[in-house]
Amino acid sequence: MSLDSAMPEEQKPEGVQGSGPARSESPQPAADAAPAAAAPKPEAPKPAAPPKPAPKPPAPPPPPPDWEGDLPTALKAEFGDKVSEFIAYQGQPSFVVAQDAAHQVVTSLRDIHGFDYLVDVTAVHWPKRDEAFDVIYVLYSFVRNERIRMKVRIKDGQKPASVVDRYVTANWLEREAYDMFGVEFAGHPDLRRILMPDEWTGYPLRKDYGILEMDNRWVQENLGIESGQ
Amino acid sequence: MAETYLDSTELVLNMGPQHPSTHGVLRVIVKLDGEKVLGTDCVIGYLHRGVEKIAENRTYTQFAPYVDRMDYVASVSNGLGYCLAVEKLLGVEATPRAQVVRVILTELNRIASHLLWLGTHALDIGAITPLFYCMREREYVLNILEKYCGARLTTHAFRIGGLQYETYEGFEQECLAFCDMFLPKADEYEELLTGNRIWVERMRGVGILSAADCKAYGVTGPMIRAAGEKWDLRKAQPYSGYQNYDFDIPTGEFGDNFDRYLVRMEEMRQSVRIVRQAVAALPAGPIMAKVPKVIKPPVGEVYVSIEAPKGELGYYIVSDGSTQPYRVRVRPPSFVNLQALDKMAKGCLVADLVAIIGTTDIVLGEVDR
Amino acid sequence: MKKLLRKIFLADLLEGLWVTFRNQDPKYIVTEQYPFARPKVGERYRGAPRLNTNPENGETLCISCDLCALACPENLIVVGWERNAQTKRKELVNFTYDTSRCMFCGLCEDACPVDCLELTQDFELANYSRDGAIWDRQMLEEGPKPARYKF
Repeated sequence: MSLDSAMPEEQKPEGVQGSGPARSESPQPAADAAPAAAAPKPEAPKPAAPPKPAPKPPAPPPPPPDWEGDLPTALKAEFGDKVSEFIAYQGQPSFVVAQDAAHQVVTSLRDIHGFDYLVDVTAVHWPKRDEAFDVIYVLYSFVRNERIRMKVRIKDGQKPASVVDRYVTANWLEREAYDMFGVEFAGHPDLRRILMPDEWTGYPLRKDYGILEMDNRWVQENLGIESGQ
Repeated sequence: MAETYLDSTELVLNMGPQHPSTHGVLRVIVKLDGEKVLGTDCVIGYLHRGVEKIAENRTYTQFAPYVDRMDYVASVSNGLGYCLAVEKLLGVEATPRAQVVRVILTELNRIASHLLWLGTHALDIGAITPLFYCMREREYVLNILEKYCGARLTTHAFRIGGLQYETYEGFEQECLAFCDMFLPKADEYEELLTGNRIWVERMRGVGILSAADCKAYGVTGPMIRAAGEKWDLRKAQPYSGYQNYDFDIPTGEFGDNFDRYLVRMEEMRQSVRIVRQAVAALPAGPIMAKVPKVIKPPVGEVYVSIEAPKGELGYYIVSDGSTQPYRVRVRPPSFVNLQALDKMAKGCLVADLVAIIGTTDIVLGEVDR
Repeated sequence: MKKLLRKIFLADLLEGLWVTFRNQDPKYIVTEQYPFARPKVGERYRGAPRLNTNPENGETLCISCDLCALACPENLIVVGWERNAQTKRKELVNFTYDTSRCMFCGLCEDACPVDCLELTQDFELANYSRDGAIWDRQMLEEGPKPARYKF
């Protein structure tokens, strides 16, 4: 990096200028530079980490183990091929539900299997996939002391059924998923933005939304400044 | 839903965002009939900083300081949850010594968080003296944190795989000295408040949330314990060696404001118990497990939650095998607990609304992230 | 009966007042007289950044490895260096540290392999302008000079 070109960029005091695309390449040089930099002064105290990066094993990771138990069996018996991919990665059970059966599965989990506490509803955006969103429900059962994850894969624009009528807590959690990803939940009683301003356009946590991007029209109208950057 | 009495009509009142008793920038739109609350609507997001978006653009190590800024009065707990989640993704476990030090600091921070809650909440109700006393005792905890990791509030105390700093000389003695000093002080607060008629009248029977409601609303932490549900993640799904300590889960009976206050007071005493046991059991050994310098977890996803002072704090992290998390979702206890405000506040008086917001113990940095 | 008497004589209030009076003892005074007396902060306190120099000859310890800039979550460190034609080693030319964006997480000092960059116990970082919060190499080596007032 030559200092002359980098300096003026850095001197802008506000914002997170230059933290976007450049950052993604940064870790690789760190790996190369670490041993070289440490070489001139080997007695430097390093309590933090082993001295050199671990050698990378070329073998692909083994597939996560299947989730076995009475719950997968019961769900498979009840819903057939609507439920699939029962895995227990790192000991955490999760499974996938077809979009049209999600509401029934949640109802069954709550009423029959005792999952009476909905921990979290959120989404993950996979823009390259045909079904661009994973909607994730984390459920917990006080009786069984068990936590499971339920995934519903939906296409952009598809509306998964809201579970507010089963768990009241889903109200704000679904509103947040809508606010951040634009996933609309069918049957939600009050689907408004929750963290962003009501008139904001765009969904910030989608992968195509840049980290410096913002709704400039809203900013200009409401804050009276050209741009937040 | 509004039922009108005599000639009274509904009045819509804005409480906040600049209201001293909302503990931050919470705006509650209150629908009133006289002084009776008919309904509330929370407007949040004034402190939204997009922590989850920032996470997607930082490496795993770099994101760790940001989690301190969510629940800033209990930043050590936030850091612990995040480190545990990434460690789970990596498949490593912190060394025994690191785990015990983590427990000590987290419990001290829980005391600090509850002390801040107690002081500010008593101030909301009208008792100004506890605030000064609580701040005085909280200072001891913050001094220990400052000596240990160099910061008082946004600590960044833990690293993925263990600890960055070895404990300083005199750490154990200072922790024990704090424990000895704190218990009589806690009795002193109770002397000021628990028997006080004004305090009891303001708190007893106000803001009731039953255990069934708590589950339906996803309310966790001291609030669900105040409703009688004996549930604490430290016992239910122990992490970081909590199964080795002997402590009780305090529970309430009615789930009202007063029970929440008592539960939190008792929780501080239990934290003292844990700290004492942990200091006594502090093993020697390395403080950092073997983690690669550049953290690159394998493809996968985990949800790890801990018992933060406010409730269940969860981190859902999706890794795509690169050095940056693909998605980090924080399950904030304050955000979910705040949702039950409408249920608790319906039918009470405006002045009680302040007390209910107080005992919900929200931190707006965590609600809005 | 006892309850009624307690009520009449305001026992609960008097109990509370007694606690307050107990705390009037001067040994409970914990207020710090900050501008008059500077508080002592912890040894590991993460405050103003500093570039350490060799105390014998005043040369910088920095080896321009750029690790601090890579470690920084806010990307606020810029290390300016050029390669010395004779010794073939990197030499530090300038070093910019933007304290206005710094959150004092300490990742840069952890990353430094030669104990050059360090967060010190100085905590008086106020400036009259935003530009003043951007520190160059000279400022980082000499440390901030907060105004000292006489009372």
